[in-house]
This record gives sequence, C-alpha cells and structure tokens, in this order.
Amino acid sequence: MREAVRVVIVEDDTWLAEHYMRVLRRSGYEVYHAPHALAAIDVIDQVVPDVIVLDVLLTGTTALALLHELQSHEDLANIPVILATNLANQIALDDVASYGVKRIVDKASMQPEDIAIAVRSVVKP
Amino acid sequence: MEAAKGNNNRGGSNQSDLSSVVVAAHELKSPLVLMRQLALDIASGKLSNEEQQRVVDQLVHVSEKGLRLTSDLTRAEAVQSVLFDMQPVNAISVCDDVADELASLYNAHGRSLKRSRIRALPPVVANRDLLRRILVGFADNALHYSDIDGVVELHAQLLRDKKLVRLGVRDYGPALSNKNWRQLVRNLGATQPVQARPQSSGLGLYIAHQFAVSMNGRIGAVRHRDGASFYVELPISQQLTLL
Repeated sequence: MREAVRVVIVEDDTWLAEHYMRVLRRSGYEVYHAPHALAAIDVIDQVVPDVIVLDVLLTGTTALALLHELQSHEDLANIPVILATNLANQIALDDVASYGVKRIVDKASMQPEDIAIAVRSVVKP
Repeated sequence: MEAAKGNNNRGGSNQSDLSSVVVAAHELKSPLVLMRQLALDIASGKLSNEEQQRVVDQLVHVSEKGLRLTSDLTRAEAVQSVLFDMQPVNAISVCDDVADELASLYNAHGRSLKRSRIRALPPVVANRDLLRRILVGFADNALHYSDIDGVVELHAQLLRDKKLVRLGVRDYGPALSNKNWRQLVRNLGATQPVQARPQSSGLGLYIAHQFAVSMNGRIGAVRHRDGASFYVELPISQQLTLL
C-alpha cells in the first residue's frame, strides 16, 4: 500500500500555514510545517517530502536561498515546489522552473482548495 | 550590533507620499489575504465547531492588526503637523498595558509576551498613547518573527549617563542576515518606510520612528545571534528632580 503523499509547507504566517494544513489534511495529505527557511531545511531533510509549498517572502533566509540549497542536494533537487505568494504577478514560472518550481499560486486570488489542487497536479502518479 | 536613529528629517514630496501609499497597501495585503482565506474556509462548511471558533478568533485578531496599522499610519502622518501632550509617563505601566493588550493575541498564537529586566525607573517625557503604540507595534512585529512556541520579552532599562530610558522588545527567531542588517542600519529612521526584514515593508519601523521623533526620542535595533531587539529611547522627566 502506498504511503500518504507528504507535503512540507514553508510559510512564516502561522495561521495561513494552519489553514493550508487544514485544507491539505482534508484531502488526505500528510502535512508538515516550517516557519522559515532554516527550519525548512531540517524538516525537508527529515521528511523528504513529495511536494514543497513555499512562500517567497520569508523571515531570515529568503525562499530563493532555500531553492538554491535544495538544488545542491541530489536527493532533494527533484522535489516539486509550489510557490504560494503575494508576488505571483511579479514572478514568471519560466524564470524559476530551473529551481524545481512547478506551479505558482496567487495567495490573493486563490480559493482554499486551490492549494490541494496544485499539490495534486505536481505529484507523480 | 546596534543601530539607532532619531533625526528630524520629516516631510516629503509627492513621490514619497505615493511610495508610502504603495508600502501601506503592500503591508495591508497580508492580513487581507489571510482574512479572505479564513472567511472562505468558514464558508466552505467543512470546519468542525472547534475549528470554526478558532478561525473566527483568528479573523478577529487579524482584522484588529490591520486596524491598528491603519490607525497608526494615520497618526504617524498627523504627528508631523500636530503637537501632542507630553507629560511624565510611568514607562513600566505602559509596558504592563502593552502586555495586557496583546495577551489575547499572543495566547491565540500559543506564545507569551513576558516583561523582563523591568525595575524601578524614573518617568519619561512622552505621550503615553504614542509610546504604547510604538511598543505594541514592536511586540506585534516580534510575534511574527519569533520562533513558534517562542517567548517575546518586553524590557526596560535606565541609561543613566544619557538620562534616557530604553524600552524594547526582544524576539527569538532567525537572525537578520548581514545584508538586511546593513540595510536596516542605513535606513533606520528614514522618511520613507524601509525594509528591515525580507518580507517586511518597513512600515512599522517608519511609524515607530515618526512617533519617537515627535516625542524627542529615537528608535534603534540590536541584532542578536538568535533574533533581534527593537527599542525606543526617551528622555527622563526632570520634574521630580526639581522638587
């Protein structure tokens, strides 16, 4: 039997993270949360998730630094990343695709279930 | 490492006014985005009673944060043209007020705001409401930057040689990067909001600076290995010494 799909949410707004977790758990995903990039590295190392949902403007180290770090590890470089951001209209998917970013979700216009739809769309069958 | 500014470079051009509006809009976007998501979550009808109550509480707190920001921003613009009452203020009681005001918010986040290193202090010359708003802003900000389950500290100390009292908020979270710290040091107290941390518009520091300057004080910051302190320094009231 296949294990549940593991999702790591990197989001420094704890209540927004809690909201994502609620939505994703309802959809049957196993969800973990890291409030900033440094914590994310530990959680990702430990969990080795199937998908990462990443905010762009993070406390401390930026999301871009985290993406660089992930790309430098062979076992983590291929984890699909979904950017969930208020800056969606300023980021082109083509510009960040080389960092493993598969989808960009606009926090300002998304529906709650969109985060689950985005995860579903990038998980390998 | 420490940085402080208290210059009186007030005023601004139409360009800077426009920048302030853009920054304010950016700063308000996050609470609005969260409120929208929480409201949609309630509307989905998929929440348990317990979850629904928690989400409603969060909605209230987030909207209050947004209202505080708009209120402070309006006030910060007004301090440029309005003279506020200045009087001897018991800084410790202001710290108590701030801790009481934010207790519910901190509790909702599962964190605590503690008063530490607060001993007997002489009164400072200040406007009580503006001082409270500065500290509420720092403490509100610290909540966002401190680690989950972390403690945030309100502290006060007498700088006897400078005849000042320093009131600050210490958070324990990811340290500021050298780049962000340099930017903060360079711009702290500027007439425009400056980005103090990666996802911050700097509007909170701009407001705090405006309030502090209007009270002949200054704001500053100290970088720690495990977080940061933001503080305001105000002159000691000489009233009692004249008795």
